[in-house]
Amino acid sequence: MSWLSTLAHDAEIAVFAAVGQHGLGLTETLGRQRGVRLVSSPRHARVLLVAGEVESAQARALERLHAQIPPPRGTVWWQAPRLFERGETVIGDDPGEAIRRAAGADDPEQRPDVPPHPWRGMGPHGQGGHGMMGGNPYGRPMAMTADDIRDGLTLDAYSARFGPFLPALPPGLVLDLTMQGDVIVSAAAASPPYPQGPEGDAPTLCAARMLRLMGIGPRAAHARGALMALPKGSGMRRRLAAWLRGETVTESPAPPPNALPGREWAEAVLWLASFPPSRLRAVCPEEAA
Amino acid sequence: MIAATFALLLSLPLLVWVAAMFDRIGAGRGRVVMAPLQNGAALLLRPNTETEAPDQLNRLLAPGWYLALALVGLSVVPFAPGVVASDIATGLVLWGACEALTVVVVFLHGWSPNSPLPLIGAYRYVAIGLPAMLLSMFVLIGAALPAQSLSVAEVVEAQRDLWNVVRQPLGLPLFMALGLAITLRGPFDFAEGAELAGGASAEESGPALAAWRFARAAMLVAFSAMAATAFLGGYLGPVLPGPAWLLLKTLAVMAAAVAAGRFFARMPPARMLTFLWVVLLPLSFANLALVGVEALP
Repeated sequence: MSWLSTLAHDAEIAVFAAVGQHGLGLTETLGRQRGVRLVSSPRHARVLLVAGEVESAQARALERLHAQIPPPRGTVWWQAPRLFERGETVIGDDPGEAIRRAAGADDPEQRPDVPPHPWRGMGPHGQGGHGMMGGNPYGRPMAMTADDIRDGLTLDAYSARFGPFLPALPPGLVLDLTMQGDVIVSAAAASPPYPQGPEGDAPTLCAARMLRLMGIGPRAAHARGALMALPKGSGMRRRLAAWLRGETVTESPAPPPNALPGREWAEAVLWLASFPPSRLRAVCPEEAA
Repeated sequence: MIAATFALLLSLPLLVWVAAMFDRIGAGRGRVVMAPLQNGAALLLRPNTETEAPDQLNRLLAPGWYLALALVGLSVVPFAPGVVASDIATGLVLWGACEALTVVVVFLHGWSPNSPLPLIGAYRYVAIGLPAMLLSMFVLIGAALPAQSLSVAEVVEAQRDLWNVVRQPLGLPLFMALGLAITLRGPFDFAEGAELAGGASAEESGPALAAWRFARAAMLVAFSAMAATAFLGGYLGPVLPGPAWLLLKTLAVMAAAVAAGRFFARMPPARMLTFLWVVLLPLSFANLALVGVEALP
């Protein structure tokens, strides 16, 4: 295995960024770091980078994220107070050195390897209610058939919590969603997005975030083809076009619990990304959960 | 036939490496030559992840199936006159079967970890995969018509006078759409897009993830070789030997696929579904009709 280790020695460090308050602008500068690659799933990462302060109310979510990074793993707190005793803290603008050190670290487990909620099912395979369906094993409802909200066909609906560190969502936003396939049936915002300050609303940054969700880099957008890919009538095209022209968007969204049901996942995350983080934060209730 | 199989097995890892290099160039990242190997080695040294109540068997097998489909698909491509790993009269049908089964394999890959984001990716991919496969069937029938044969070797020989890319200009662009779909790329990456945080592969790590990515790149190689064969005359060309022409054309298609994946934005799936059924499929009918009229005696 030694030749494999030798070859891997100069590999890029896969970093998952958990973005906290005022962390969006920080994270964008990571693209310029040599030898560091941002990944979109904690499973693909070697290092957990907490960029910006995370409230202690979400310490548990952060601990779970830490546990999802396969061992050995390292942690870096970048302009963020530590929420648990792992990794090192970086105060300055350049976390590069700390990330390289974390890539050699081996954090001990932060969470015990046990289910997050007690078992509340009845059967041996997680079924909780009647027959093979329903019930609430380990605190999560099992998928259960329900009428599709679009055409009334009966399909499995399942509920899950998304956020606060899912890269496709605005950082800090926690959504409790019930979905049928990739269609959102009902939504509740359990926690609002983190404040990102004026730099979070910067047009280039907002446009880049939206384009990334569509799988292209900011350069390709000069062809304006990206606008054609967006659905008509939801204002997404208008807002992205404004950002691409360098203009600030000041529109406010409808509250997500009203606006998300009926949308499919990809459309929903694009819709959320098409508003400046500050505006989205303003319409989400503070700490409803 | 045995020599062709060996040549295929030896050249595939190298071509996968080249595909990874193209991807780095497309993403605008440096260290083009070594980084794919180094990152791959680092990934192999990471552990696999366990998820709660997974479909263990399918989770283990999905990357292997994907690679097997790429290899079987590649095996019908002739390297030179008479040199082909699978010398069958219905090569195009075998390739079509590999395309169709890719949908099943990607679904199993997303289904098996028992986790929401991979499952959403899997469902979405199946919805988009069906019309994309239909598209490819019509386009490939178009490529087979001038040869009046489903044998890939015959399809190449029928292009001695005129390549299919000139004879049926709609064919290659439409086939490229299928290529993006079966290699999970750019506008057709509904399984593993950024909006799903890795989607079908979101729960994978270590060797399992490395194997899946290798298989995905191998499928790009297989698709590029097939596109070069069905539309760009395969091994036909002056001066250089046949295999060299096939290699050059394969690399050109591969570069075009990587570039297209970076250039075109991904639509939300409902919009893409409409685009496929309302725009691309009728275009493929039109292509077939034109080819049919031309093939009339």
